[in-house]
Amino acid sequence: MSAIEDLVTELSQLPGIGRKTAQRLTFYLLKQPVETARRLADAIRAVRDRVKACGVCGMLTDDDPCVICSDPRRDPSVVCVVEESADVGAIERAGRFRGRYHVLGGRLSPLEGVGPEALHLEHLLGRVGDGSGVREVIIATNPSMEGEVTATYLQQVLRPSGVRVTRIARGLPVGGDLEYADGVTIAQALLARRDMSEAD
Amino acid sequence: MALVTTSAVVLRTYPYSETSKIVRLATRDLGVQSAIAKGVLRPRSRFAAGLELLSEGMAQLYHRETRELQTLAAFDLLVLRRELAQDVGRFAGATAQAELMLKMAPEAPLPGAYDALTTGLDALRAAVPDAVDAVALRGLWLLLGALGFAPALGSCVRDGTPVPTLPGGGQVAFSTAEGGVLCARCAPPPPPTSNQATRLPAQAHRDLVALNDPDAPLPALAPPHAAAHRRLLARFVRHHFGEASTLPALDFWERHAWSPPLPPPSAIPAPAPAPAPAPSAAS
Ligand SMILES: [Zn+2]
Ligand SMILES: [Zn+2]
Repeated sequence: MSAIEDLVTELSQLPGIGRKTAQRLTFYLLKQPVETARRLADAIRAVRDRVKACGVCGMLTDDDPCVICSDPRRDPSVVCVVEESADVGAIERAGRFRGRYHVLGGRLSPLEGVGPEALHLEHLLGRVGDGSGVREVIIATNPSMEGEVTATYLQQVLRPSGVRVTRIARGLPVGGDLEYADGVTIAQALLARRDMSEAD
Repeated sequence: MALVTTSAVVLRTYPYSETSKIVRLATRDLGVQSAIAKGVLRPRSRFAAGLELLSEGMAQLYHRETRELQTLAAFDLLVLRRELAQDVGRFAGATAQAELMLKMAPEAPLPGAYDALTTGLDALRAAVPDAVDAVALRGLWLLLGALGFAPALGSCVRDGTPVPTLPGGGQVAFSTAEGGVLCARCAPPPPPTSNQATRLPAQAHRDLVALNDPDAPLPALAPPHAAAHRRLLARFVRHHFGEASTLPALDFWERHAWSPPLPPPSAIPAPAPAPAPAPSAAS
């Protein structure tokens, strides 16, 4: 297989990129100065070599613990639970939340074979139960069915710890995705969070 | 190419691009179909509620039989079924039904299976908490029946000899491989040496008959009995779909992956006879 074919094949494996787009990207890179392609290759290598999950919150990061977990100004008594690292970015851009995070790395999805064991819950339960003063867990999973059932499950798992469990409000569109929501919507959803209880 | 309007349930969605999704739909008029929903992730998209899992609506599909991927033109929401996400057990039962539909239904009209699916999903929304397992079991058995896999429960699957439900104790042989109960003549002598035949206690047989009869009162299943019924159903499904095919939602539901573990299950796949009074449901 030719080098061009190799790159087209690799690029077309990426989400949202078909074969035609992969070809366009390949020929674009070939027309650029050689440095452009080198920088892209280096960046891809670096992201795989340097980025790992934060040992405390699970966010993908260069530093372990991540900048949020190691920032003494962040309130350790409030933990916001999100599905993916990209959701941390979305909430941070809203600029209102001063607590810390737990990144699940997914959501419960029986149809995709994602069960509770995939969600790094022992880390979350450890933080809630180790006397480090977590008062509230805000569940900010997506407002999709699977995000919702994940919230239901987390509430059930956290109940014995006695910690306050809240769910962000439905300011987010049903079926929407945190990652694509604007900052104002996220800030409002956080402010209007509600306690989760059996009666919901 | 024809524009077809049919009621449909969202069985799965896959992200396709920044603005589009691919959906797998159970449709009433066209069977299970894959379709692209262009622009569904845009704000104010014309697709109601972003095509939520298990929601039901009137779908408009540009349909061509020779094509694997149809185009979804619109989806007008009828039922969202968000209650299913307020209880992991309900959600598990519902996704196990969706999975059966995905794996077993043909790309051809099968309105009976479609109606069994929507009836089963709505029964799970409405079930009282203690009945969630039994309602899911009934939904799955009736969906299997509508898909052409109903178990033989009243007569021997091999020679048709009537096998009545026993009012008291005793056991009834059930063969997963053959798809139903066996009469005394056909049943292998106890103890069962092969895993081909299971010995169902009379109570479990009565409950199984009631679960497969939509008009019978729903049997009350204590947790260990419900677990045994889940294992029996899961084994039945796996046998008929091939052990090789993965059924993650069925596994999740069968082992109650969200619950703290039950007391150790009995060695046999069906419960020991319960001291509970015999239900009148076994007629
Ligand atoms: Zn961290
Ligand atoms: Zn027989």
